[in-house]
Amino acid sequence: MNNAQAPKHAGGQVGRSVSRLESYDKVTGQADYTHNLVLPRMLYGKIFRSTVAHARILGIDGSQASKLPGVHSVVTGQDVLRVIPDPYYGPAFHDQPVLALHKVHYVGEPVAVVLSTDPHIAEEACHLIVVDYEELPAVFDERQACTSQVIVHEKLRPAGTFPDLKHLAGRTNTNIALDFHLKRGDVDKAFAEADHVFEHTFRTQQVMHTPLEPMVSIAEPGHGELTIHTASQSPSFVRIEIARLLGWPENRVRVRTGTLGGGFGAKLYIKLEALVTALALLSHRPVKISLTMEEQFFTITKHASTFRMKTAVRKDGTITGRECEVWWNGGAAADIGPRVTQKSGFTAPGPYDIDNIRIASYAVYTNLPPAGAFRGFGIPQLVWAYESQSDIIARALKMDPVAFRMHNLLKEGRPQATGTLMRDAALHLVLERTASRMNWEKPMERATSAAHLRRGRGIGLGFKAVVAPTTSVAMINLSGDGSCIVYSSTVEMGQGSDTAMALMAGEVLGIQAEKIKVVKPDTDVTPYDMATLGSRSTFHMGHAVRLAAEDVLLKLQVMATELGESDCSAANAANLLKKKYGMQAGNVIGVGNYIPSYTPPNYETGQSENITPNWMIGACGVEVEVDIETGHVKILRMENVVDCGTAINPQIVETQLSGAAIMQLGISMFEEMEFDDMGQLRNASFAEYKIPGMQDIPVVMGNEIVQARQTNGPFGAKGVGESATFGVASAIAEAIEDAVGVRLTTMPMKPETVYRAIAKANGQALANP
Amino acid sequence: MTPFEFSRPESLAQAISMLDPEDPNIRPVGGGTAVIQMMKAGVLRPTRLVFLDRVEAHHSEIRLDANGQLHVGGLTRLSALEHSAAVQQGWPVLARALVSLSNVRVRHVATLGGSLAHGDPHMDLPPILSALGAHAVVSGPKGDRMVLVEDLYVGYYDTILARNELIAKVIIPPQGTRLAAYSKVTTRSHHDWPALGLAVVLGQNPDGRLGAVSLVMGAATDRPTRLVSAEKLLQGSLAEDHLLREAGALAAAELDIVGDSHGSADYKKQLLRTYLGRTVKQALGTAHQGVTK
Repeated sequence: MNNAQAPKHAGGQVGRSVSRLESYDKVTGQADYTHNLVLPRMLYGKIFRSTVAHARILGIDGSQASKLPGVHSVVTGQDVLRVIPDPYYGPAFHDQPVLALHKVHYVGEPVAVVLSTDPHIAEEACHLIVVDYEELPAVFDERQACTSQVIVHEKLRPAGTFPDLKHLAGRTNTNIALDFHLKRGDVDKAFAEADHVFEHTFRTQQVMHTPLEPMVSIAEPGHGELTIHTASQSPSFVRIEIARLLGWPENRVRVRTGTLGGGFGAKLYIKLEALVTALALLSHRPVKISLTMEEQFFTITKHASTFRMKTAVRKDGTITGRECEVWWNGGAAADIGPRVTQKSGFTAPGPYDIDNIRIASYAVYTNLPPAGAFRGFGIPQLVWAYESQSDIIARALKMDPVAFRMHNLLKEGRPQATGTLMRDAALHLVLERTASRMNWEKPMERATSAAHLRRGRGIGLGFKAVVAPTTSVAMINLSGDGSCIVYSSTVEMGQGSDTAMALMAGEVLGIQAEKIKVVKPDTDVTPYDMATLGSRSTFHMGHAVRLAAEDVLLKLQVMATELGESDCSAANAANLLKKKYGMQAGNVIGVGNYIPSYTPPNYETGQSENITPNWMIGACGVEVEVDIETGHVKILRMENVVDCGTAINPQIVETQLSGAAIMQLGISMFEEMEFDDMGQLRNASFAEYKIPGMQDIPVVMGNEIVQARQTNGPFGAKGVGESATFGVASAIAEAIEDAVGVRLTTMPMKPETVYRAIAKANGQALANP
Repeated sequence: MTPFEFSRPESLAQAISMLDPEDPNIRPVGGGTAVIQMMKAGVLRPTRLVFLDRVEAHHSEIRLDANGQLHVGGLTRLSALEHSAAVQQGWPVLARALVSLSNVRVRHVATLGGSLAHGDPHMDLPPILSALGAHAVVSGPKGDRMVLVEDLYVGYYDTILARNELIAKVIIPPQGTRLAAYSKVTTRSHHDWPALGLAVVLGQNPDGRLGAVSLVMGAATDRPTRLVSAEKLLQGSLAEDHLLREAGALAAAELDIVGDSHGSADYKKQLLRTYLGRTVKQALGTAHQGVTK
């Protein structure tokens, strides 16, 4: 299945479990979080936010706020125009104004900012701002928004960052930011000839990333230049986008990040950086904005989605055709939603070998808080649908759900929906190992401790194509004494990337990872990286670091030859440099850059010979106990299995698996942003928006990395940060059906939802005591 | 946040004198776990906070009196109550419930008096202490008065306490041979506020029939509510399954249960129907059981 290939290097680092290099700083309170940074003469900004979902701004009165003692100034969108004439940003569409201009598009949109040397005064003054709105009708549902007369943005302005979105320029009178289509074979014929046709609609809800370090950015103005200190997953993108907004060259904008207290996709592209930039340029002082946990709910979220799936199946269980229509609720800003729509959209039919496929995937604007990247990048929403339907079909055909999947899974070398041939995708092995860990071949132990409890089990499997094409550049520097520094713009946000990069550099150079320093991203120092997202860093930056280390070795070899020395290893670098410069001096600097090959999909058919450099695979098995009198679901056991190729740092990979699975468990079971019919969010706080705690973790939890190798990966590796999210939700839904015979098609699966389904199945109305 | 006065009186009497019966912006602070949240949310903008951490030490003492009653000072931290040997031995229902109450950091600062005075219907201690028949000693400028904990509450976040009255002490009668249990039913994460809280305290007659039955519900109504009809139905009975079901149905039908983000009113009624019987059975099952953590 996976072509085993002997490793070229033998530094003894890759595959070694190493504790995170930053652990000591974290547990001793010395980690350099941006929240702790205070600069001389710094002002604090507090954001005044829209209280209505859709309205024209008739006037903003900040006069009372300005008069509050201690207030430096009140800044509105009109003020921003003085320093940024075209103040719209966004990675896919320029649809987010730095501060609202003319219109507000959702409750929580930034409208004005109060600046003060005291953050409490700034907050107090915000209460004194008065805005006169002319309210407009609003639209919240992603399917209604496709045909609604309510238009969120009058004109679409593609950013031009991604070449595949350019055709959208100038579209008006639509809420569809992007529509992606894929056609393969003859779907209509497949439905006409099918023995069985299944059609279902699945829903997921809007949720938030909840990084425990909320977003924070500081802009520090200098003479014709600007430094931004920000908790960002994409410092290189921030530099490019701020330089574009200001019309400055990139070298006048410096972007630094510290350690991030979690990201999960929330801290990508631009969040607060353009705002603090405008405020710093207006006030000529450093400006810091620190969001509260509550404010994060109004900044970026995970797409709610609706997925209509229709499937043609032969009597023997072969899937012959599949039609997928997916609507992604992007809220009021596209953010990276169009990429989710396309890059994840093409996997909507699942990891199955299907000859006839039709996909339509729509990124839709609504008057809700923006949605963007979220651990899994759209894949968990899709797996929820296609794996739920796998179970529904298997039940209808009276087939074992694992056997049904095995029968249809894409084999090595077979074309995926895009036409790209599957390579190094251990789908069968991951499913087989999950089933084995669940003792699937044996009947489940169904005896319970009480008559009102029922047991069931389920398995789900998903896959993801790493986002392509993207670039990473790395540098490695051996100092005069031979000690090693890695320069990479990959952001350490808890996923252990610094340690992984040190392991990979060390593997090539023969240096112990713990002895290598990894420099925090600083665009004046560390080279370009597209972003820390989509489980791309191990693969892309890993390659760049590997190449940089190999470049160091090459330069050492040249140096040794020049000096007439035979030992050109990194261990001998200090001697070589001393001999060359006559003292401890100099550097050996290696550079590596990496971009995988890629063929863009055909606009009409979505077909591509090379849609992605690798596939990440994740499966989940669960056993649950359902309380038939209350609908409570207890997860007794959870088994997570992934193909991540070589595990660079097995200990951290395992925590990535359990972390991803628990995060998805919360989303599957109870997390939900609750809006009223005016678009007001009712639970924007940890008091009312609950994430899993220790007691919500399954009683038994196992994680496994299958024996596999990603041939084109660095040291056989590929990404893993998201894979354990894929199979969780549908596995729970199947386990619930296995236990109590009801099928849920909408997330989250709260006890009340489960109980109502049970009551309905029993013909009972819940209202009657 | 605008500046406000922060007072730390040395005695309870001094603290009371610093409060104002007419001014809702002057607040006493026990542990601050609720007040700080309210300030952060912007619903409370105090002009003065009276922090009670320096009042006489006996206000945070736990002691047993000659009658076996537990006297708990109003400023006793919930964690002190949780770890008290007297509580663990004599009031296992309290000890068990305290472990699941909020979280360890909150329990280390929140005070018993403050948590009872807050009046949030989702809290766990008001129904438990009500079911046990506990009294609160309320101190004000004119001296002390004794009220049943059960009678403290008149509505949603609304108590009988005047703004210049403090809960100085709680007196809990012995649990004795009474059997008791508390069900905290959450519907999102395990550590969420309850959708339903149900406290059950049962006397047992020598013939095995139930003696005095005390059932108090929290979280599903605007204040802790005694399930009077269900109590009457079960009193003197053998707590047979059909009676428990009937009692649950009776309670659910009678009460004005309100829906919230934890569950609709109809669902909370189902929880009550289910958990009334379960909690009674759990209490009966504690007959020979100590505290489990």
